[in-house]
Amino acid sequence: MLLSASRLQLFARELPRSLVPTLIINLLCALLVTYLMHVGTGFGENLLYAMCIGLTAMLLIDGGRLLLWGKDNPHELGFLLMLVLLAPLSFFIGSLIAASLQGHPASLVAISQTHNTTGFIVLTLLACVGGTLFYWNRQKMASLQARNTAIEKQAVIAQLQMLQAQIEPHMLFNTLATLQTLISSEPLRAQQMLDQLIHYLRATLSTSRSEQTTLGQEFLLMEAYLGLMSLRMGLRLTYALHLPDELRQTPIAPMLLQPLIENAIRHGLEPKIGGGSCTVQVTQQQTMLIISVIDTGMGLDSDAAYNKPASTHLGLENIRSRIDALYGPLAELTLTHNIPSGAMAQLSLPMQVLLAE
Amino acid sequence: MKENTPIRVLIAEDEALLARALADSLQRLWPQMQLIGIASNGFDAVTQALTLQPDVLFFDIKMPGQSGLDAACELTDQWPENQTLPLLVFVTAYDNHAIQAFEQAAVDYLLKPVNEERLRQTIARLQERLKNRTGVANAEEIMVQTLMQLRAITPKTAPERLRMIRATVGNQIRLISVDDIVYFSAIDKYLNVVTVDGEVLIRASLKELLVQLDPQQFWQVHRSTIVRVDAIRSAQREANGKLFLNLHQRPEKLAVSRLFAHLFRPRQT
Repeated sequence: MLLSASRLQLFARELPRSLVPTLIINLLCALLVTYLMHVGTGFGENLLYAMCIGLTAMLLIDGGRLLLWGKDNPHELGFLLMLVLLAPLSFFIGSLIAASLQGHPASLVAISQTHNTTGFIVLTLLACVGGTLFYWNRQKMASLQARNTAIEKQAVIAQLQMLQAQIEPHMLFNTLATLQTLISSEPLRAQQMLDQLIHYLRATLSTSRSEQTTLGQEFLLMEAYLGLMSLRMGLRLTYALHLPDELRQTPIAPMLLQPLIENAIRHGLEPKIGGGSCTVQVTQQQTMLIISVIDTGMGLDSDAAYNKPASTHLGLENIRSRIDALYGPLAELTLTHNIPSGAMAQLSLPMQVLLAE
Repeated sequence: MKENTPIRVLIAEDEALLARALADSLQRLWPQMQLIGIASNGFDAVTQALTLQPDVLFFDIKMPGQSGLDAACELTDQWPENQTLPLLVFVTAYDNHAIQAFEQAAVDYLLKPVNEERLRQTIARLQERLKNRTGVANAEEIMVQTLMQLRAITPKTAPERLRMIRATVGNQIRLISVDDIVYFSAIDKYLNVVTVDGEVLIRASLKELLVQLDPQQFWQVHRSTIVRVDAIRSAQREANGKLFLNLHQRPEKLAVSRLFAHLFRPRQT
């Protein structure tokens, strides 16, 4: 029952992997016995004994592990017990094999009467423990590597999702439709719009990959986006961007500001019949950098929980968890009503942490 | 319809440049077409359509105010009973689910940016339809069928079936079993929940409520009304052709819109 087909496959796969380390340990043991302990008739004979004992130990211990625990991690105490029992056994069996290979009349009695038997058993045990530690280390490295790969994969997936969310197909196709129109009727404006689209796409694609950008760059990107939107929405959209020159070089993570502005357009101004204005401004208040995105659009749904920790608004939640991870507990994002109409999103980030990045 | 009668077209599209472009393309490819108006939002679309009585509508799906789909439903509701409904073409930039529905629906749809070859096909299809349009009933059949199909795009899977309605009355919360409700009617952002002996306002939309109700127990009969089937006493057609419901335990009459009139047609055996 224990030796099912899958177990046999496991044996065939796992045992050869232990072979090379075992051979190396055997060689080391033979060297140790011959040149440090000065026991035996010579290196050749000692190597033969070491190989026989070592390989037997490997077959018994590794085989026992696979038989009892299969692919799972062995039970620690059980494995130790197995080690203590199988190491001496391997010594005797291995010695018998080696002796018979040499053509000596082999008997257990003869082996146990050679001097230093206890020493050899201890050596075998130590070698087995060494081999086991090596094996465990290898397992741990492998699982660590697997975990790292999984984490990297998740990060890539998250980034892809973010990209998809960012470049909303609806926005892209509508912009292309407008471009198509302008190309024949107003080629100059078409050229200008195409430039802005290229700038927006390039900036969106590259900043979402890089970890750091500056406020100045983010504002250029926002200008391109708002420029595109105002071409499409015409008189329905007015916008203003205020960034003090001394804050232009402030480092900031990408994709924090952009989603707030896109929200203001998508949920605030685009659905509003008369449209409205969008204002983005940055100020420094003592130790905090305050970025405000103010629109005069549809406003917030008064029942929705925008500012609660477990908010159902995925985009906002995403920004919150990111600023928390990047800038610590002082960083916050609030969403409030704008008077007389619309909404205001405000990012407060500690200046010190921003500049330390 | 005679060959030389102008075909009157209304375009509803919030982006002025795109509206103009569509109008230009139509003018070029369809000389018989006469543009009678451009509406810039979902409400304006309904108002203009009702006043101008066009033959063909091009409605953008995503518009300020209300969507092209909602506008089409409202228009169907309010369209005079004795007039032929206009033919409808939807225009959309990107909408995965809608496109699938459009492909099955009787109505045509265009994707932005609009491809001229595709627009030619649409025009040919419209001309065919305009030629074969025989009487009010046929057009209504097509429109109602289409809109019903398109409405089905909205998710039908309810997270959980609603048993109780919670309504805040003064400083207490009243629990009303759905079995006691006669009908719901939408008023702006609120829903009026009407029972035999009273009514309360709750903050919810008809759309989100509808998916949580048992479709066997509750029917939507109008853009803004859901009624409990057991509370209906009779359906009655008035002199002006409009259909109304009489209720068992309430004196008021509920209007049934064209989209839902089929619910009260006698079953053919």
